[in-house]
Amino acid sequence: MRKVAEFLETVVVVAIILVLVHTFLDDYSILAGWSVRARSWIIWIGLGFDIFFTIEFLTRFYLALSNGQGTRYFFRERGWIDFLASIPLLLLNSLPHALALLAGAGLVSGLGSFLNVLKVIKAVRIARILRLLRVVKLFRGIRYARSPMAQGHVSPITTIAVSILVLWTLGASVMEGVGIIPGIEGPFSEGQAARAAAIAQVGRTPSVLVQRAAAVAALDATILVVRPQGGAVVWSRYAPAYYTEYFLPGDFGYLLSGGVEVFYDQRPQSVSAAREGLVFFVAVVLTVLAFLFVYAPRFAMQISDPIHVMKRGMSESDYNLEVRIPAEHADDDVFELAALYNSVYLPLKDRLGNEGQGPAPALKINDLRDLADKT
Amino acid sequence: MRAVESSSDPVSRFASRLLETPALRLLPALQKEVQAMNVLRLNGPQLLPVFTSLGLNVARGWREPAALISRAIRAETDRMMAVEISGLLSSRLALSFFPGVAGGRQAPARAKEELRALIARAAAHPVARSALSGSLAAALSDIIEKYIPPAWERKKYMYVEITRVQRLSLSPADLSDLTRFIVLVRPAAYLYVTPGETLDKDVGYSPLQEQYLLKILPGIASQAPSFPAALLKMGLRSTLAFPGSESVEATSRIGAIMAMRGRALSPSAVVDRGADTPDKSWFNVQRRNARWHGLDDRMLDELYTIAAENGW
Repeated sequence: MRKVAEFLETVVVVAIILVLVHTFLDDYSILAGWSVRARSWIIWIGLGFDIFFTIEFLTRFYLALSNGQGTRYFFRERGWIDFLASIPLLLLNSLPHALALLAGAGLVSGLGSFLNVLKVIKAVRIARILRLLRVVKLFRGIRYARSPMAQGHVSPITTIAVSILVLWTLGASVMEGVGIIPGIEGPFSEGQAARAAAIAQVGRTPSVLVQRAAAVAALDATILVVRPQGGAVVWSRYAPAYYTEYFLPGDFGYLLSGGVEVFYDQRPQSVSAAREGLVFFVAVVLTVLAFLFVYAPRFAMQISDPIHVMKRGMSESDYNLEVRIPAEHADDDVFELAALYNSVYLPLKDRLGNEGQGPAPALKINDLRDLADKT
Repeated sequence: MRAVESSSDPVSRFASRLLETPALRLLPALQKEVQAMNVLRLNGPQLLPVFTSLGLNVARGWREPAALISRAIRAETDRMMAVEISGLLSSRLALSFFPGVAGGRQAPARAKEELRALIARAAAHPVARSALSGSLAAALSDIIEKYIPPAWERKKYMYVEITRVQRLSLSPADLSDLTRFIVLVRPAAYLYVTPGETLDKDVGYSPLQEQYLLKILPGIASQAPSFPAALLKMGLRSTLAFPGSESVEATSRIGAIMAMRGRALSPSAVVDRGADTPDKSWFNVQRRNARWHGLDDRMLDELYTIAAENGW
């Protein structure tokens, strides 16, 4: 049973590492202009990961509840991280994306069916940032076998740092979305609205509308398709097959003005958002790496290692190694204590017990049991 | 109850396998014995199923079967120790120091056999056997060769004590050989100590008195006539407390430290991150306990410095 649990924990760690790669590729694919086919794969894989982590959270939560440890799991064992990095992502991010992908396979035929989905995607895109919380989940899977104290200390600090980064960015995005703080999309959207209004100004008559649309689209390369509300397309920048090949549902913007529907190219904004996403991703990863490889070793060296050595010296009769005291930290409380341990405790221990002089107690009672079985 | 008769006996087989377990493999025979005996002593009641599976009668408790296994362990240890001592005398002890301390005379051919017999006598005596544990561990290890040459190169306290005060003109290799001889003779000083006279923690390591050594020297010398009395005295006098006996030769003081160090050697010990190295830790602790154990604190200072400089 224990081996199964260890195996599952390893699977989760591997999944977290893979999902981080996926998070990077998700943004990078937009930035690098990968094909629709490749980006579709990334969306489906993202859905798979979100389902996996949702199942993981629900399983852990269920088991914790079964043992009467639900509150402990959710608050003290960072179940809330598991929650935020699973169900909201599934419901607000990957599932809508996947549904949009299914619904919006062809632009012209599918326009009406995925308009609402598009709006949802745009509104919850910011939820993607929650995926970065999974980085801190790594700390549960990776064990510093030689310094559990360092792990116990560094893990919550990393959680706090990454959570603040992620949740503040999420909050800022929400405030931007509701207009509390100005965002980069504001002026862009206003310009689009003005151009849509300019197109709709001439009325819904197709022959007039097509001329007006062509004139305005000549000035704005992001305008893709114009049609009367619920009617046939009167003007399109590209042939339908081109949209199928190069546009995912999230790449379109949509405006309705004066009974005229205008679709515009939202990829430049997506590229900008992807660039920001990558910068943020790298910032979070660097923060975690800094805690893991810079702060944690320092903590181990200055706090947990000397305490571990003293603990062994005090609890094991045959362990008599001194604590190594770095000259630059000799004034730290821990090393002042270690100096007392070295200069007072160990010499007293040496005087009081013969066990302290002998070799380490390598032989355990189980060794004898095993031998008897073989004999 | 069953007697230990041959290696086909399950108890003997068990003892033999016990001393060869991976956990003990790197230790000298006597230290293996100490470990095995400790496990038996401390876990006797929990080992009743083990005793039963060996076919031992446990109707009267764990002590009797444990004593039977203890005897088997000791017999097996003696066998292993004999092999160790043979290897030691044939390949690690050259008696090359002999001309330097015996007026140019080479060591007689029977010298090593006499030393072997002396060690065997020590091994048969409870107190001397305890002393032999550290001595053999030190003699079998490289601890002596590790420290004598650097001490020689430094030309400080140890060098001055040996060359100018004790007036020995030996090469570092010969001095290492002499130190090995001293630590091997040292247990013989406890041959006439009655078991139980000292606390358990001091058995084989409590300082002895000069008058006592003078009394036992003839008896020891008669068992090893190939060795000049002065040489044997160096080994016996390594049990004297320093600075209690100011006249203790430098070589004896080195021998005392090395025998004590041998007692604490642990070849399989892993140094934890954040801990100092075993030698440095040990010498530093002994610097503070030098008077308690009767060791030369200035030698310990020098050995500590050597350990620190070399990361030992």
